[in-house]
Amino acid sequence: MPPTTPAVETDGLTRRYGDFTAVDALDLRVERGTVVSVLGPNGAGKTTTVRMLATLIAPTSGTARVGGHDVVREADAVRGVISLTGQFAALEGNLTARENLVLMGRLRGHGRAGAATIADHLIDRFDIGEFRDRLIKGLSGGQRRRVDLAASLVVQPELLVLDEPTTGLDPRSRQVVWQTVRDLVAEGVTLLLTTQYLEEADALADRIVLIDHGREVAEGTPTELKARIGEQRVDVVAVDAAGVEALRSALAPRFDVTVPAGGRTVSIPAPDESLDLERVAAVVRESGVPIDELALRRPTLDDAFLALTGRPPSESASPETAEVAA
Amino acid sequence: MSTPTVRAPDRAALPDLPPRPGAASRYVRETLLLVGRQLRAIPRVPERLSDVTIQPVIFTLLFLYVFGSAIAIPGTRYQDYLLPGLVAQSIAFGVIGAGTATATDFSTGVIDRFRSLPVSRLAVITAQVIGQVLEQILGLAIVIGLGLALGWRPDVGPLDVLLLVGLILLGLIAFTWFGVLLGMLVRSSDAMQGVGFAIVLPLSFLAGTFVPIEGMAAVPRFIGEWDPLSTVVAAIRQVSQGTEATGSWPLEHPVIGMVLWCTLIIGVCVPLALRRFRTTSAA
Repeated sequence: MPPTTPAVETDGLTRRYGDFTAVDALDLRVERGTVVSVLGPNGAGKTTTVRMLATLIAPTSGTARVGGHDVVREADAVRGVISLTGQFAALEGNLTARENLVLMGRLRGHGRAGAATIADHLIDRFDIGEFRDRLIKGLSGGQRRRVDLAASLVVQPELLVLDEPTTGLDPRSRQVVWQTVRDLVAEGVTLLLTTQYLEEADALADRIVLIDHGREVAEGTPTELKARIGEQRVDVVAVDAAGVEALRSALAPRFDVTVPAGGRTVSIPAPDESLDLERVAAVVRESGVPIDELALRRPTLDDAFLALTGRPPSESASPETAEVAA
Repeated sequence: MSTPTVRAPDRAALPDLPPRPGAASRYVRETLLLVGRQLRAIPRVPERLSDVTIQPVIFTLLFLYVFGSAIAIPGTRYQDYLLPGLVAQSIAFGVIGAGTATATDFSTGVIDRFRSLPVSRLAVITAQVIGQVLEQILGLAIVIGLGLALGWRPDVGPLDVLLLVGLILLGLIAFTWFGVLLGMLVRSSDAMQGVGFAIVLPLSFLAGTFVPIEGMAAVPRFIGEWDPLSTVVAAIRQVSQGTEATGSWPLEHPVIGMVLWCTLIIGVCVPLALRRFRTTSAA
């Protein structure tokens, strides 16, 4: 494709299921050689979006082009340039890790010897050696994910799509995924990464697209978005509902206080980090309101939504909860 | 736990993709690769293998020795009555096997992986059907082998054997396509087992597999006379033993009837399955 063609370009991309609109007029653009992260809570439409890009489901309306090819009219060409690694390892459970990799290589067009060479290279690269000859169904979630990621690289794709690559992963596997992403970027692969972790998008992406209810709600570089979200904040946890109100009235004159609905937490932006922590602590001590906890926190996805849209995301996106297929 | 070692990539040393062959040879190649994947998986799933091995053995022994002792079919030995029926039943049970395997593949996402590759989607679904047919042939070989060992004596010439093989293959292909379609619609292997048995088991008991349809009460007899499985049972029985059946046009012309039924099933299920395959995905 010509170097100026974006790796991904969607125009009004929409997918409906009956009355439910999973993806709503999304205009997404991923320049070649960059990493774009689509960040959003469960059910925001992340998976539906990447499944349309990978030609697994057709858009209800709007268009999407991958590497300059239309995902509906030139689906086969799109499949030749894109590789998708989904949330759930899509491997043959009754074959071994190595057999899966060889099969993928051969399906992509390699001969027996070529596919074997590539499989062994990937086994080495993804630290799969110790379980290469075990059946996929007997592997742990993290091991499977590594094989799955390797399987999507049997041919270096122009665009690699990682759908929540680290949801539910152990730290070691998460580290492998992050390192792989960085290596691939260094090799010039374009990456589209969905995640529900702000931290992950921040660490890996050149641009972040925040989505909710299938719509884009904010877009920018991590630095731009963080400037709007606030790098850090101070959370004060009251002992009861009355305490929340008392804290709010004590802190509101001096700070920009937010009280997320239904909780006992009073939240204050802390651009000056520990200095802000001290200032808030002083006011709380002065007020005499009893508290459970006072802490400096990194922003979460919920904070990003509050800061950028003025409301919490559609569904509580607790980072501890693994996402169920959207 | 050691620190993850991700070695510096060295793709330059790896083989390049060979030139892409034409569409037809790619289709054949991809189909064979995917059939290979299914065949390699068979011995690694003992419970699935038991569906086509142990289960038919149990059915054969159970009916031959438990019910067979109380069932008298005028003019024939019970082995010669039962075994053609069991062959037909094994063909019909292919619906459940194929459906369950398909539902499993869809729910694990492995089919989505294949669909996201530049691989012919027709190859993916053809391989599904071929793999299942081969698995069912294994089950049939066991039933036939066991039947012959237990005294089944088919009355066939060489042409009858050829006809029998042709009918069995046609039946397997038709019922497997039906199963693949059901598996894609149901999408859960547990649900597929339930739905499959709920459809196939009653139809197979009504089909004259174990006892003659003529002796049944009016309602089951009517269903049995028009049950497609009855036609399959009657066709296998007519070719292998020369037994005539009566009650309805398809039963009186079972071979033609079976060919028509199978053609109808293939004609309906193949386009629906292909359409479903293009538009559906897992999860």
